[in-house]
Amino acid sequence: MAPPELYALGQNQTAINSHAFNANRNEVAVSLNSTDATIWERHGHEWRQTETLSEHDKMITSIDWAPNSNRIVTCAQDRNAYVWQQSPDPQTGRMVWKPTLVLLRINRAATQVRWSPNEDKFAVASGARAIAICSFDPEGDWWVSRLLKKPIRSTVLSVDWHPNNVLLAAGSADMKARVFSAYIKDVDKRPAATVWGEKLPFNTICGEYTSHAGGWVHAVGFSPSGDVLAFASHDSSITIVYPPNSAAYTIKLSSLPLLTLTWTTENSIIAAGHDCQPLVFSGSQGGWELTGTLDDPNANKTGGGAARAGFGAASPVGRLNSAAFNTFRNADSRGISNVPGSPASSGESELFTVHQNTITSVRPYEGVPGNIARVSTSGVDGKLVVWDVTQVSPIGVTGIVGRLAGMQL
Amino acid sequence: MDVNFRKIDIDQYDEDVILDSELYEPDPRDPAQVLNDAKQKAAAVRQSLARGDVAGALTAVLEGAPYGPNVEEAKNLNLQTVVSILNSTKATEIPNIVRALSPDAQDILMKYLYKGMALPGWGDVSGSVLLGWHEKLTEAAGTGCIVRAMTDRRLV
Repeated sequence: MAPPELYALGQNQTAINSHAFNANRNEVAVSLNSTDATIWERHGHEWRQTETLSEHDKMITSIDWAPNSNRIVTCAQDRNAYVWQQSPDPQTGRMVWKPTLVLLRINRAATQVRWSPNEDKFAVASGARAIAICSFDPEGDWWVSRLLKKPIRSTVLSVDWHPNNVLLAAGSADMKARVFSAYIKDVDKRPAATVWGEKLPFNTICGEYTSHAGGWVHAVGFSPSGDVLAFASHDSSITIVYPPNSAAYTIKLSSLPLLTLTWTTENSIIAAGHDCQPLVFSGSQGGWELTGTLDDPNANKTGGGAARAGFGAASPVGRLNSAAFNTFRNADSRGISNVPGSPASSGESELFTVHQNTITSVRPYEGVPGNIARVSTSGVDGKLVVWDVTQVSPIGVTGIVGRLAGMQL
Repeated sequence: MDVNFRKIDIDQYDEDVILDSELYEPDPRDPAQVLNDAKQKAAAVRQSLARGDVAGALTAVLEGAPYGPNVEEAKNLNLQTVVSILNSTKATEIPNIVRALSPDAQDILMKYLYKGMALPGWGDVSGSVLLGWHEKLTEAAGTGCIVRAMTDRRLV
């Protein structure tokens, strides 16, 4: 049983807004809640910061690293995106990252950026009720952006590419997950027909799904085959949709909402969010269920051994009865005061999970699409964690499992 | 600091403003029918309560609860019915009753609890009764149920 690998990149619990590994996973690009992206290199069991990519003048919201073409794309609240490419410095001959500005033509913050599978396009979600699809124009020697606008009614919070390089899923704050065609004539070959449709000119709506109880759609993801769509929304639910007849399975969680998800196989999803632990969902066209968590509640951890064991069973109300509560109760009854989050406060303000705050990103780490062996997560606590997806621990009976409803809508 | 600018209705200057009606599916029923349903349910609940069937009464009143615009009367009536059930239940029975509810019904019950708390002194709403139910319901349905009650635009 290999425990999850835990790296604290953010000093003093600085949030990690986004993380992206390179192809062979010896480097990682992160944005530590600032206008700079930093690149860290692996040295044995620790990470050392090697480069700083500074060009944005507002907070970086998302980073993606194209594995084959080795290009990094960053987007930020300054409404810009930069494509970073390594080239030798003319004086020293050292490889440096050179930025190229991409004019996105959006008038609100960019929220998420993702390279397409062929790495010839990328999609930028934004608060401007639009998604910018950017492709390289060799004649002008720049990246051009085309906007997917209709019928988006609010901020787009997440995007995910279909493996065919044409279709794009988007989750937005108007409570809907949609599937668009992001077909660009000069870049894409005519795509083969999929379950999502046959004729796919740019901005075709191939699917539109509402979240169960009307929550913002935080995360979307195509299955490895691209034939199934999963989305997680702020009503603490995750929905899996099978087109074309749109059979949908919604799992309502008894815990806090999920913010991010990734498919590990065609029949399993790992999702995480405000509950600070990665949850595992599995199923098929016959139905879906929550099978457990990657965060082993019985694992030994500083200051939390015994209390941790009781986490799933004795305290079904999640974290209501945990760290923060105890901190204030001690302050009240015993006059013990410790500032929450201060390093001196030992186990008192520690959660019983590996991540100590909301997980904002989960991404594949090892394996090929459809057979992911490990995933990486990062979050508001400044930690980067690599998890083995096979180490699933059940969730306490009185917790979530008891009242899951995988219902067909 | 002058904060009057916060009171400006900026939506009136936005021609592409998003309306509440675009955020959720409207109730397919006609307002008059919704009111009629609520009245029938109130009567059925009185009978169930007379038989001591609290769980059945609660399930019935939570199913098809009125939401959305133009059904204020039905909403009030349904709230009254829910409150009458909540008030007439023994505290020791609450855990089993909330556990027996379907997840959908639990979510709707949570909405009524919060609505009740937002209307102190309305009818025979009692804060301590609502808090008692809230505690037991959260133990059974988790914090996810609270999140759904706060997120859902289909206000009861």
